[in-house]
Amino acid sequence: MRVKGRAIPKVPTQIAGLDEVLEGGLPRGRTTLASGGPGSGKTVLGLEFLCSGAMSGEPGVFVALEERAEAVRQNALSMGWDLAALEKAGKVAIVEARMFGEEVVSGDFDIHGLLAIVGGHIKRIKARRVVMDALDVLLRIFNDPRRERNELYRLHEWLIDRGLTNVLTAKAHREGDVASQYEFLDFMADCVIRLDHRVIGQVATRRLRVVKYRGSGFGTNEYPYVIGRHGIVLFPLTKAELAHQPLGPKVSTGLAGLDAMLDGGLRSSSCILITGSSGTGKTTLASTFVQAACRRGEKVLYLSFEESKEAMITAMQSAGVDLGPALRSKRLVVQTALPEAMGSDDHLIRALDAIAAFKPSHVTVDAISACIRMGSEQAAFDYLMRLVSILKERGITCILTNQINPMDGSDEELSGIGFSSVVDAVIQLRFVEIGAEINRQMLIVKSRGSAHSNRRQSYVITSRGIEFPDHPQPPLARVFRTGRKGGAN
Amino acid sequence: MIRSTPLAAGKKKRKQGHYLLRLFMAGNGPNSTRALSNLRELCRQHLKGRFTIETIDVVKNFDAAVRENILITPALVLEAPLPRVVILGNLSHLQKVRLALRLAEGAS
Repeated sequence: MRVKGRAIPKVPTQIAGLDEVLEGGLPRGRTTLASGGPGSGKTVLGLEFLCSGAMSGEPGVFVALEERAEAVRQNALSMGWDLAALEKAGKVAIVEARMFGEEVVSGDFDIHGLLAIVGGHIKRIKARRVVMDALDVLLRIFNDPRRERNELYRLHEWLIDRGLTNVLTAKAHREGDVASQYEFLDFMADCVIRLDHRVIGQVATRRLRVVKYRGSGFGTNEYPYVIGRHGIVLFPLTKAELAHQPLGPKVSTGLAGLDAMLDGGLRSSSCILITGSSGTGKTTLASTFVQAACRRGEKVLYLSFEESKEAMITAMQSAGVDLGPALRSKRLVVQTALPEAMGSDDHLIRALDAIAAFKPSHVTVDAISACIRMGSEQAAFDYLMRLVSILKERGITCILTNQINPMDGSDEELSGIGFSSVVDAVIQLRFVEIGAEINRQMLIVKSRGSAHSNRRQSYVITSRGIEFPDHPQPPLARVFRTGRKGGAN
Repeated sequence: MIRSTPLAAGKKKRKQGHYLLRLFMAGNGPNSTRALSNLRELCRQHLKGRFTIETIDVVKNFDAAVRENILITPALVLEAPLPRVVILGNLSHLQKVRLALRLAEGAS
């Protein structure tokens, strides 16, 4: 008789994003191997797992096989985890188990001494978790592959017999694979996590991948992560797409004419893309929306990759949009950065920090086309896809501007770097030659959950802002509204 | 003289040239018994009447293991005469142990 598979018990790591990838956490009472090259964050992962346990009723023992206990404490403190206090409270024990290499070796030996020490601490603090950092250092003393394997299986059995959830870390090559002589570690562990620290396009990036997980499903992609101020932060994409908030009520764009074209305005909590070549007025249009939102008392975070805050404010003033009052009332926060100043992961965590602190209703990214300078098209895609997903999850309106080259302004370019599926509305701005004049025209290419005008509307940018010389008409197609995507409004 | 009450020694004044040897073991496994018999044999050969062996079972006395940072068992620590020496393993390479304990020719 087939028995319905039961999910194995898991221990949440409480590492941001990792539990989603692991579908709940690490296997309870089992062994997890975390391997990675220098600087990949193996120790941080182990420490974070230990500290989150210690603070939620699961004391743990940290076995430092390479570093001094004091170095481990300092390392943890830089992430905001006070190990010394946890040790004092009897929630954490650090075992400094470094070999000195001065010992004479004569005949066969084993690691019972270490087990006795660790076992004593486990008993003393009633530990439920054990982290052994730099296991490869311990194995090296055996200098014999067969012995290494035997001792490791002994250690593994010993930990499992005591019902301990344990994380073993080991050094790996740059590509993230453990050195071939330690391959058996992969076979032994129930869950294997690879941490990879590499350089792509001159920008350092970190990637995490779950290689195996006995008895459980897991996210199989490579996930970017950063070592932030409070530990490891992962950006899984898998779940974000399922948790998007429904589009909210319509809000004014700040332009009566554009509101009319959009049958009342833009849906809040949606993602709006403003696309056009240089000089068409993308930033002006975005700023008009920002100004209107701040006047309504809503908060806006403006991420500018194109120009400094001062330059942007001055330029907008000459186009009739004064963002000064919004800044002074602290409803507008402008965060500027050169795209190439840091990796896309760091840009993301910087934006997320600002969002967490400021709690805006709307976020503007100006311009997504500049994001390619974060390193590569892939890096820009990762950044934007994750940012937009997180914004949608939190019901924050997202306004993106995208600069296109008028020479190849194909439809492909309309949605920017290939993520049209998350974009709810597209406003296209372009230059047209009419006789001897260059004019600007605006077209709503798409507007999910709303009717919209299908006409190209001429507009001008004056010292009073964007103006429509001919009064825009509300969409003719109202009767054709399908109601798809909850379009009733 | 072989005692299993650990670490009481050192309080008593000993004659110069007296060897104080601490053997850290884990239970009564083959490595433990082998190390102890090897050590006894060596002391009989070279140190008649001027040695003390203390055996410490790290499974029972983990405090001592912590204090001495004994990760590997068996581990023999020569506490006196100085300098202190640590020898890992079941001591089956007797010549290596002799050299390390400064018991090689001329020393006996």
